[in-house]
Amino acid sequence: MGEFLDTQWPLIGIAFSAGLILLAQQWRSTILGLFFNYLFVAAFLSQQQFITPDLDIAGMMVSTTVLVKLIAGISAILILTITALTFSRDYEANALDEFSLAELRRQARRAQRQRIVAPMRLADFIVPLWALILAAIASLILPRLYPIGSEEVDFAWYWLTLTGIFTIVTANDLLKLGLGLLLCVSSIDLLYTAIASSVQVFPLAMLGLTTIVLSLSVSYLSGLMYGRLKTLQLNELYQR
Amino acid sequence: MLYLLTILFPIAMAAGLFILRRQSMPATSGAILATLVQAALVIQLPVDAPVRLLGLNLAIDPLGQLVLLTILGVTLFAYVVTLYIAHGENFIPVSMLLLGFASSTVLLLQEPFVATLLLVSSGLIAILSIVDLPSGSSVLVERSPLITALHYLVLVLLAGFAMYMAYVLLTIYWPTDQSGQSSPARLIMALLIVGFGMRLAIFPFHAWLIEVSEHTAPMVSVIIITTLNSVAMLFLISTFQYFPIIVTENERGMQVFMVLGLVSVIVAALFGLATPHLRRTPSYLIVANGGFMVFGVASATSTGLASAILELFNHMVAVIIIYVAMSLLERPDGRPVVTIRRDLLWRWPLAGGGFIIGCLLLVGAPPFSSFTSKVLGYHAAAQAGPAYVVLLTVGLLLMIAAMARLFHERLLGAAEELPTEEMPILLATQEIERQSDRRLLREPTGLVAVMFVLIGLSVVIGLYPQPLLSVVDDVVRGLTFVKVSS
Repeated sequence: MGEFLDTQWPLIGIAFSAGLILLAQQWRSTILGLFFNYLFVAAFLSQQQFITPDLDIAGMMVSTTVLVKLIAGISAILILTITALTFSRDYEANALDEFSLAELRRQARRAQRQRIVAPMRLADFIVPLWALILAAIASLILPRLYPIGSEEVDFAWYWLTLTGIFTIVTANDLLKLGLGLLLCVSSIDLLYTAIASSVQVFPLAMLGLTTIVLSLSVSYLSGLMYGRLKTLQLNELYQR
Repeated sequence: MLYLLTILFPIAMAAGLFILRRQSMPATSGAILATLVQAALVIQLPVDAPVRLLGLNLAIDPLGQLVLLTILGVTLFAYVVTLYIAHGENFIPVSMLLLGFASSTVLLLQEPFVATLLLVSSGLIAILSIVDLPSGSSVLVERSPLITALHYLVLVLLAGFAMYMAYVLLTIYWPTDQSGQSSPARLIMALLIVGFGMRLAIFPFHAWLIEVSEHTAPMVSVIIITTLNSVAMLFLISTFQYFPIIVTENERGMQVFMVLGLVSVIVAALFGLATPHLRRTPSYLIVANGGFMVFGVASATSTGLASAILELFNHMVAVIIIYVAMSLLERPDGRPVVTIRRDLLWRWPLAGGGFIIGCLLLVGAPPFSSFTSKVLGYHAAAQAGPAYVVLLTVGLLLMIAAMARLFHERLLGAAEELPTEEMPILLATQEIERQSDRRLLREPTGLVAVMFVLIGLSVVIGLYPQPLLSVVDDVVRGLTFVKVSS
């Protein structure tokens, strides 16, 4: 058991951090989960034989591939955190007509009321919890049925894909939905790195770019939605 | 150098135009000039002469060059249209950026991983234009564009994910008999169908196109449908070209893809028939036409591919004609917004005429360019079997029915009688009680000219299809996955 923990701690970290994103409801927890997820994915990749350390940073040998992924991931986290902290794309009050101003005030009141009457409920966790159990079972079975890389790599990417998809399905706010999408990108990133015979610079850069563009898109839409509805709750968006 | 310039020039121009985005005239003029320069660059590119850069193969074949030039042509017309109708603040820079991404994707078709990521990134960038408002707008962004953008975001990413997974499996492909394990050919095909199905908006993944068409500015829809979907179609053809194993090992899968294309024609036409709406019905017709193209590509025959490729060009021309006409027909004509207008052809005869011709182009009416591609499509269906001919006929008849219903309900209704004589002003009448003047603006000459130039082009190609057909024939002859007809 001790040996398993010593060697497989990044895999356990990936499992816990992705699970946290699926289960948690608060943006602070989910973004923290994503941050740790990127860290553990980087640690996991560093352990693999196909990644050779080629860069000396302060006496520590690291791989450029891992470093690029880490930088892209942390950039995405920073973009989302800054968005979550500042949120609203503020409309210039003097540029809006009176109907738009009234609509903004109405939405602000509604969002405030909802925050007061909707505390955290245990029932909110039931569906994500079952989704997590389902993802765990599938991630253990699928690598045996459809093996692509090594068993560890397969578990990691299946787990990231499934938790990502379930996060998208069960997300009740826009930011969490974006995190689900980022988990899916992270899983194909991991898989590409694991199966490519030689990791090329350009596809790697493109994967990083996709991660950053995705987080920018999610941030932009979140800002726009918060500015308009004063909430990120998807049910408010669909309300007519 | 030329390849790099083709990729980086539009991206650099997009950055410059972003600074100018609030000054409509300089931004649009700059974009028109940049598009012309980009077209000149694409013409200069050496055809079928791959180069290696940063470990990647960059190349362009005659089909890619032709598609890219058509996309640039359509974008040029879209920019001209924005001189006359309101558009989002970021439309010009975003569309220019999309041109850069489209050019990169076409040049990098031999690198499926990179091409997939470029398609995903361009889809993500397009979101910015979906939720865009005109510069200095005094209204809030509506919920519907936000919902549309959200759906588009998720679908673009899931489509990219499915495509990427398919290419990963192709990289480690093993045939069934070698390892004792069943080959992943079917899984690859399923992932490609889902990925490209979402990207090309074929049934049952078509919902995003209807939403985009309904809730965004017409020229945004044009750019998304023509630029992104055409590049995706080219990518699908090149996937079969560079991985012919998908086609040879997957006859059943290709049949499923063919049937899905025809089902898409039928179902989309049925939806269009059920909802006669100025925006929704043409977008269903566009989905149906996309299904027709997918059928042609999946048939993997020379006639089927020739039909799909010809239809691709026709599709782009039809889409811009329809959306230009639509933006003219939607202009206020003095009646309350809630009024259902049924006499649009009599109100706006030129725009109405353009709209009708655009829809006729989609269904393949002679003498337009699409007639040839539809005939070739029938030929491919006949080669595949009588059931395909029946399905295709049903689909095209339903498309015609949907179009006819739309014309009947929105364009050809009896003209509303306008008050002929002015009511006398009675004593004690206040200004507020007087009916406002029904002013009917003239149809903008520039826009009508754009529309009729495109229609003229389609008629010329329809009457003299030989030059384009010979280019397409050459392209199809070079495709390795095409089945040789017995």
